[in-house]
Amino acid sequence: MQTRRDFIRRLGLSSAALPFVSNLSTFAASGAREVRKQRLVVMFSPNGTVPWDFWPDEEGQQFTLKRILQPLQDFQDRMLVLKGVCDKVRGDGDNHMRGMGCLLTGIELFPGNIQGGSDTPAGWASGISIDQEIARFLQSREETRTRFGTLEFGVMVPDRADTWTRMSYLGANKPVAPIDDPYQMFRRLYGQVQQREVLTGVLDVVREDLQKISRVISGADRQLLEEHAEFVRGMEQQLRSAKDGESGHVMPVLEQGIREENDNIPAITKMQMELLVNSFVNDFTRVATFQMTNSVGQPKMRWLGIDEGHHELSHEPNENKEAHEKLTKINTWYCEQLAFLVRRLAETPEPGGTGSLLDNTLIVWGNELGQGNSHTLDNIPFLMVGNGLDFQMGRSLVYPKVPHNRLLLALAHGFGHHLETFGNPGFCKDGVLTGLV
Amino acid sequence: MFVGLTLVRSWLRLVGLVMALLVCGRSVSGVAVHDEKSRGQQIYEQRCISCHGVNGQGTPQTPAPIFGDRSLADLADLITRTMPEGSPEDCVGDDAVAVAEWMQGAFYSPEAQTRLNPPRLELTRLTVQQYRNAIADLGVEFRWRQAIDSERGLNAEYFAGRGLRRDRRVIQRQDAVVDFQFGAFSPDGEKIEEEAFAIAWDGSVYARETGWYEFVVRTENATRLYVNGRSAPLIDAWVRSGPETEFRGARYLLAGRLYPLRLEWFKFREATASVQLMWKPPGGVDEILPTRHLIPKNSPEVLVVETAFPPDDRSAGYERGTSVSQEWDEAVTTAAIEVSERILAGLKDLIRQRDGDDAAAKIREFAGQFAERALRRPLTDQLRQRYVDDQFAGANSAEEGLRRSLLLTLLSPGFLYREVSGADDQFDRASRLSFALVNSIPDGNLREAAAAGQLRTEQQLREQAWRMVNDPRARTRLLEFLRSWLNLDRLQDLDKSDQHYPGFSAQLAADLRTSLELALEELVATERADFRQLLLSEHTWMNRRMAEFYGVPWVETQQDFAAVPFEPDRRAGVISHPLLLSGLAYTDSSSPIHRGVFLTRAVLGRGIKPPPVAVAPEAPELSPELTTRERVSVQTSPELCAGCHRMINSAGFALENFDAVGRFRQKERDREIDATGQYEQRNGQLVRFNGARELAGFLARSEETRRSFVRQLFHHQVQQPILAYGPDTIQRLAELLEQHEFSIRRVQVEIAVISALRGWNSNSERTVAAGTETR
Repeated sequence: MQTRRDFIRRLGLSSAALPFVSNLSTFAASGAREVRKQRLVVMFSPNGTVPWDFWPDEEGQQFTLKRILQPLQDFQDRMLVLKGVCDKVRGDGDNHMRGMGCLLTGIELFPGNIQGGSDTPAGWASGISIDQEIARFLQSREETRTRFGTLEFGVMVPDRADTWTRMSYLGANKPVAPIDDPYQMFRRLYGQVQQREVLTGVLDVVREDLQKISRVISGADRQLLEEHAEFVRGMEQQLRSAKDGESGHVMPVLEQGIREENDNIPAITKMQMELLVNSFVNDFTRVATFQMTNSVGQPKMRWLGIDEGHHELSHEPNENKEAHEKLTKINTWYCEQLAFLVRRLAETPEPGGTGSLLDNTLIVWGNELGQGNSHTLDNIPFLMVGNGLDFQMGRSLVYPKVPHNRLLLALAHGFGHHLETFGNPGFCKDGVLTGLV
Repeated sequence: MFVGLTLVRSWLRLVGLVMALLVCGRSVSGVAVHDEKSRGQQIYEQRCISCHGVNGQGTPQTPAPIFGDRSLADLADLITRTMPEGSPEDCVGDDAVAVAEWMQGAFYSPEAQTRLNPPRLELTRLTVQQYRNAIADLGVEFRWRQAIDSERGLNAEYFAGRGLRRDRRVIQRQDAVVDFQFGAFSPDGEKIEEEAFAIAWDGSVYARETGWYEFVVRTENATRLYVNGRSAPLIDAWVRSGPETEFRGARYLLAGRLYPLRLEWFKFREATASVQLMWKPPGGVDEILPTRHLIPKNSPEVLVVETAFPPDDRSAGYERGTSVSQEWDEAVTTAAIEVSERILAGLKDLIRQRDGDDAAAKIREFAGQFAERALRRPLTDQLRQRYVDDQFAGANSAEEGLRRSLLLTLLSPGFLYREVSGADDQFDRASRLSFALVNSIPDGNLREAAAAGQLRTEQQLREQAWRMVNDPRARTRLLEFLRSWLNLDRLQDLDKSDQHYPGFSAQLAADLRTSLELALEELVATERADFRQLLLSEHTWMNRRMAEFYGVPWVETQQDFAAVPFEPDRRAGVISHPLLLSGLAYTDSSSPIHRGVFLTRAVLGRGIKPPPVAVAPEAPELSPELTTRERVSVQTSPELCAGCHRMINSAGFALENFDAVGRFRQKERDREIDATGQYEQRNGQLVRFNGARELAGFLARSEETRRSFVRQLFHHQVQQPILAYGPDTIQRLAELLEQHEFSIRRVQVEIAVISALRGWNSNSERTVAAGTETR
């Protein structure tokens, strides 16, 4: 049940969250224990890939990056390409819907009233998604608890809630809306700090006023105001010490006035990625999703000289070389964005630790389809970068059409969360995906 | 028997008079009254002072102070029977009368207590309710107010197809409630195909009480509900998904106001269609949102603070803001953030910004107006500098400046406390008048009157008070008082034994509550609001379920509740209303004690101290041969109990004709009910009554009832001790009630005027503006 108090709670200023200091001690605690931080980012881009420009021809440690993955060549030894991992979930909804709703949940959609281009109408996914499951696990333990637990970034996600626009779920029928406005995300991350600063200044004036009045009134009445002034002073002190505790925290500076529109997708993507890196530096969260547009996403990548919408292009048959050239460019552009994030993580030192953020972060890049024109849910273009989960990186792996639930299980196990099954248990019979560690 | 009393202004003189009568009547001795008094004092000093202290304040071994409102005879009787402890035979008869009389005058009576500890007006902060009302009204001041007329229901638009597209709207009408079972069919076979159709209901919802309301939509189709604001739906099930068919969301609503409501719904290819809009009001049960709470008119969003506050002190019998705590300070800080964020989110609407406006200038102007209204006085140059200009000066943007200014205003002593400017001028009068009547900050009309110097005379104040007493908020305030007078908040969660009272369901309990609420609303809606109607009314509001349970013939009407005669020869007014009778009872038996405490304490205004020892009521099964009356009499017969219970029980026994669910009974387990009761008035006179009607008649005539009622009403409105406004204020108001055909409204007005004329700092030597006025 959503109430307005939730808004205040999110601000971190509700009575429950006071005193403010306690909010911040979690940062100190996690650093002090010297437990290695592990992080997960799931990046999504839509409409399937171009298989012949994505999958390496070779299997194993020696492999050549095809066009789409070229932007990642500096990080080839830190990546895993996973071919043969398939979304086997069936039931209600068309493939775009199931591709999206089951990508991180591994479980069927409920029957519902969202009608796709084919198949029966469906509703939301009937279970929690792996990002939220891992966040729940990390939040349950003091040494891995963070302020937010999980953050859901978006880029140009349409302002409508349906099965095509949501991939993260708190549970059955509980989709999580990604925040695709960088300024809103900034307020979520740093609004509290700004509020504190304003409040500290204001309370100073309030206390002065209380003291002035109490000087000219007598007895019990004065005592009331003096007590009040004392509480105000206490809160001021809390605010100041909270501020001191935060002084090491980096607050990014965002370019102002970037409107949410198609042609600003590149700018918004960079801003959101900077905020993501920042929230890792400040240890606001260990888990994040990064959703570029949505399933059936229709951005027009005019900055690449492409005027058609992405989804429209993705329906073209393999024989249409011109369309597929464009699709390859589009997917390469998505890979460039991923490479930007990877580079930023690689060049950012791990606060209070050794190495870089990338040494302790795993990024999984996924998609709702294997390929757009066939709408296949086989061979979802899964790619992983970074050393967060101690997988043996720098390889191209090929699996015999295994359910992707086993990959989701592997992510949980990588965090020490040893689930037996995840999503539909029928797809977990063979256990965690092998060959990763 | 009451005429004499109204002529006597001073209780002390009254006591003397009664004493003289008693002494003559008993003709115990020929000793002069003067000597009697000193004899009483002598006895007290010899026999009592070592335990009870000089002024009855108590001593370490007997810490409980002694004071109260027993009549002289009653007090003397108590001393005869119990004091001194261990040897009560040492002080009986004349001696007991003598010492009782001396105690009455020295410290025992309320008047003596007032003399010893003169009550004073205290500096107070806004109570939680006042805070919430003030914020809501600050919002209203920048929007508009929707008047409540008699129209009920919601505007409905029916659409062909799943979208709410105006060009496919085929039906417009009003629906009394949202409770539709379409099955596999369309609401209109000609215009709408059954595969897909949509409906939107629009209007406002009226909240009767302050608290959390759960809104519930039941449907197998898709729905979205907005309550008090369109920025985000309270319920969003626009994507139908899975087997869920019930959706809930909660909103905190303030009593007596309208909140915009919109329900959107559509069917798409599901086999069947249905939709119900329900709610669960505070303390109630899930029910179809009734027509009487739906208004087919739009209304502006109300700024309701949802931050949880610690409850206000009620130890004096009324809510008052005479203490602060860390929890309270945290709550006002959090609430200030909540309010400022909500204002900033809806700013364009609030400042009515249009293209081409200088937005920064409008925002700053808004900050000034907000501060002026919140602080309840015009901004001097100094105040404007401090609360507005300084805040904008240090900010990066106008919005940032407004945030600072709003936070400062909302946390300032000038907003949070009552009248601390030190000015004690007409603006303070406007505030006191407004808080006393509508429990909130002054409106524009009052502000203007104060600025024009038109709150100078009593007559001017009274005219303003008459204007405001008809404001819906003043009626809401009176309703709140009547609930507190009836102790309704203690009657929540009525639960009755299924074995003894089958059919007494949670729904029926909620019906009883609605029934009483409707009676109170009916009274409050009349011009005079006749006090006697509370005690003497002969009809009861009932719905079908209630009528069936209580065996009243039911005639189906348009409305779910109707006023029907209910055993008019046996019942009268609230004291025999089934809600009170069931609330003041156990799950399986009546409770003359609970009923008696209510009658003597709440209605007659007697001070009753808590029982000296905790006693569990004896279960009826243990003595099945006894009636409830006999069982209670036996259990409270020990001297320790009887002192108070003689009075309590003998009032409560008059309602013994009503069982634990308030049904009339002639017999209890084959024994005839004895519903005779009596009450010894403070003047020593004994009144006897038999049954509810005679009891109600006595209460409606009793001066004690009137005094108690006006005293409680005063405290409810003013939140300051009434005795601080002069020793005869109670008497004056009680007479006013009687003289003006028992019009509660007339008394409300007078209380507001009395309060407006005198502030907590009126007698202070300080005349120079202090605190917020200076830098």
